Amino acid sequence: MEQIIANGLYLGAQYALIALGLTLIFSLMNVLNFAHGQMYVFGGFVTYTVVVQLGLPFIVGLFASAIVLAVMGAAIEKFLFAPVVRRSKRDESTMLLAAGIAFFLDAVILLFFGEKQRGVPKIVNGVLNLDMRIIMPYDRILIGVLAILLIVAFIAFMHYSRTGRAMRALAQDKVAAQLMGVNVSRYSMIGFALGAMLAGLVGGLLVTITGVNLGMGGPTSVKAFLMIMIGGAGVISGAIAGGFILGMMESVGLTVLSAYGDITYLVIFASLMVFLAVRPQGLMGKPWG
Amino acid sequence: MQKRTFLKFSALAAATVLSLPLMAYAQNATLKIGFVGVTSGPAASWGVSNQRSMETRAAWLNELGGVKIGDKTYNIEIVPFDDQKDPKRAIAGMEKMAQDGVHYVVGPNVDDGAAAVRPVAEQNGIMYFPYAFPKELFTAPASNAILGMVANYQSGPAIYKFLKENKGVKKVAFVAANESDPLSQRESGIAAAEALGLEVVSGNVTYQVDTTDFTPVLLPVIQASPDLLVLSGVSPANAPQLIRSARELGYTGLISTETGQDASVLQEGAGELADGFISVGGASTPELASETMTEFVDRYTKMFGEYNDESNTKVYALEYILETLKANPAAIENVDEFKKTMDTFEAANPFMKGDAKLKYVGMTSFGQKRQVSVPLVVNEYKGGKFETLFVGQVD
Amino acid sequence: MIGKKLLGFIAFLVVVFVLVPLFISATGRWDFFYTLTSVALLSVGAAGVWLTFYIGRINIGQGAYALIGGYVSTILVTQANVSFWLTLPLAGLFCAIISVAIGFPILRLRGVYFAMVTLVLTEVARLTALALPITNGAKGITSIPLPGELSIFGLTIIPAFGTLSNPRFGFYIMAVLLMIITYLVLWRIVNSRLGHLCRSLQQNEELSASIGVNTAYLRVLAYAISSFFGGIAGAMFASIAQSIYPSSFVVADSVNFMLYCFLGGLGYVFGPMLGTLLLYFGWDLLSIAREYQLLIYSGVMILLMLVLPNGVLSLLDKKEGSR
Repeated sequence: MEQIIANGLYLGAQYALIALGLTLIFSLMNVLNFAHGQMYVFGGFVTYTVVVQLGLPFIVGLFASAIVLAVMGAAIEKFLFAPVVRRSKRDESTMLLAAGIAFFLDAVILLFFGEKQRGVPKIVNGVLNLDMRIIMPYDRILIGVLAILLIVAFIAFMHYSRTGRAMRALAQDKVAAQLMGVNVSRYSMIGFALGAMLAGLVGGLLVTITGVNLGMGGPTSVKAFLMIMIGGAGVISGAIAGGFILGMMESVGLTVLSAYGDITYLVIFASLMVFLAVRPQGLMGKPWG
Repeated sequence: MQKRTFLKFSALAAATVLSLPLMAYAQNATLKIGFVGVTSGPAASWGVSNQRSMETRAAWLNELGGVKIGDKTYNIEIVPFDDQKDPKRAIAGMEKMAQDGVHYVVGPNVDDGAAAVRPVAEQNGIMYFPYAFPKELFTAPASNAILGMVANYQSGPAIYKFLKENKGVKKVAFVAANESDPLSQRESGIAAAEALGLEVVSGNVTYQVDTTDFTPVLLPVIQASPDLLVLSGVSPANAPQLIRSARELGYTGLISTETGQDASVLQEGAGELADGFISVGGASTPELASETMTEFVDRYTKMFGEYNDESNTKVYALEYILETLKANPAAIENVDEFKKTMDTFEAANPFMKGDAKLKYVGMTSFGQKRQVSVPLVVNEYKGGKFETLFVGQVD
Repeated sequence: MIGKKLLGFIAFLVVVFVLVPLFISATGRWDFFYTLTSVALLSVGAAGVWLTFYIGRINIGQGAYALIGGYVSTILVTQANVSFWLTLPLAGLFCAIISVAIGFPILRLRGVYFAMVTLVLTEVARLTALALPITNGAKGITSIPLPGELSIFGLTIIPAFGTLSNPRFGFYIMAVLLMIITYLVLWRIVNSRLGHLCRSLQQNEELSASIGVNTAYLRVLAYAISSFFGGIAGAMFASIAQSIYPSSFVVADSVNFMLYCFLGGLGYVFGPMLGTLLLYFGWDLLSIAREYQLLIYSGVMILLMLVLPNGVLSLLDKKEGSR
């Protein structure tokens, strides 16, 4: 039992961090960023390159991937999303652009980093074993704690910094925020960069545990979508809740349903559909986000 | 303005596409060999290693002056097609091969693609070498598919038997991704284990291929306390994570798989936790590799920056095609001749030390010779390298 | 005006039934038959997705219905010996019925929520196909016979495909016919009272409900028609591949259906057809670029979006210009 909860918490922390970046971008621009998973993979590969190929310390790799992704995010927003959003008749049109960017990043990752699964060697060795009731390797605990710290830092940033407040205002009411003197295009760019940076950071953190390969992007995006749907799209607390709930669902579901084997994921996905049909705006979302 | 930019841009795109360099060799005739498989997306590793080993070998042969088949010398040109692991695209790829006059194709890499291209291959006289295991592809009335590797229903029993006799394995557990290929492999693996009198303690746990944390997946499996954990049809991306999670949960028994793996991927992903991991590979362990194999690895590394151990098995298909054509030059344009030659064909295996032979096998499994004879090399991973555990044969 | 449209329609018929086959036999590019067959069938599926866009819903679940349609037709053909031509509408109907049951609760959702549920639906369909005994699970169904003869009162309408010297051509004709019928139906719907009502849903659902439009019924109806299209496209594909697996239609296919609609233009009935042609055919043509195929493909996609954010067909809007 304890083990299941520990697994769920660890999964939830990493999921929540992925979902945060996605939901931030969605709340600011109403863009469902299909390329989020690819950004995460890209971050993982940057960290891998810095740590394994160049032999620099892990923390440098983490910073490198945060910076690279932030710059990439800002550029994507300024040169691709902003012009399209300005000129398209329907908001959804950005989905094609996002999907195109996802394919493009996939191609770039394949050309730059190759087709193989990559991983950074463990940063801490050893396994925590509380008389066989909870087994948790130290590196997982470290990554889990780091992820939670990042989440806390992100929330604090959104609440107390000037930039964070401006972005929250934008997410709540674009027109009103604009009238109050918030520079929409500037903060959209910052928000996108921040979201991409979060994706890069998770990629950098997880490359030490799960490794990274070019195929992970698409499925990761889909998973992140699920999380923000559970919690409510565009709501930061919702993304965190969604991440932890999905983590718990997988952990509990896999154990409880293991006797039925093949249908475990069928049950998980089907119950998600039922949940969303019953509560269309997720747990704490604005209706009709 | 919009329209003009658009036109300009499309003209530019067209020009870029058309001006891509085409390989041309003036003196020799060209023999085109096709590849239809997945070289992008999650499973890219399978197809990329395939395509690259073909390209490496082709470049090497061309550098030596081409391949003499009958009284003509040919340069080998590889025609690749990325099917994105989509059976609908695979059909399009096979159609394109037929269009280009290609009669010998390597691939596809997965079950559904291999089944989908069958009508096209049979209508157009194409022999293809899928890396997929469904028996109906290779048993009559199907006749154009040749299995390019050892199937798991052939290697599995050999591995389990070896482990039962030498390591005292009694209880086996199976884990598989919830996709067609791994699930089919799990099913035949369980059947093989039960036939040997082993007890299957867990055989229905599955995982999504995009899982990032395997601890919850493996928890119930490890609690069943098996002596041997079989990762059915595991992809090279998932293998290190599964091994690591199992070990970190305190599992001390054996772990094995019937698919090919890459040593450096295991090293990076699981480190010393992967020691003792048993997998199936080709002939690149130092005990077996001939000088040709070593040179192949060198050339591959030089051409593409890094070798992929999955190519140990994948180097063979092209060699079989060329050697069989040499044995019967009439087969270049006529696959029926190829099929005739297959029954009696035999040539030296250049990639292995000793007097190993290239020949077609499969009578036991398929009732006709529709499989390349690749040595069944069972490896054990140790300290960043593979060591040969034992070598078997398929008939 | 009507005359102009009719003329355009006849020109289109001439192109697909006369000029394209002539071009193929003149150049000898026989492989184009299959590619164009795929384009025609995928655009049938995309037409369905477009219709759900028309009522203001982003549908990323068409792959699920294509898969269901494929399995329904295959199972009827292989286990009950039903003629393939009969299973084609049956597969569509089955999908329509399923979609009513699924659509009734989920069509209350909007925007990204609806999109995500449909995305999950594709995965649910794949996992169901893996788990059910009737679909033969992971092993799929292979060696499906080619379509047989279709005759009414002893008069052969469609010959058995097994006897054709070139079944590819047969499939091409059938697929294109299917596509033409689909788009005629779609065009008819859009220009009928139903179409106007759908448009009112797209613009403001509450408003149209308040003036007495039965929005729930309308949504389910549009979704059922959409799924019908998906089902017949899937059934035809299974017959061409003579095999079907749970992975025959996956999330990537669902996403692609949606992308075809975007690229062609959401405001144009023939948008999805053009979008499918450009994206699917483009990928095939780009295969000569080898390892740069995906890079060029996605690069072109991004550029197209930058230049024409409202779809390729927005080139035709002369009056409006850029907003």
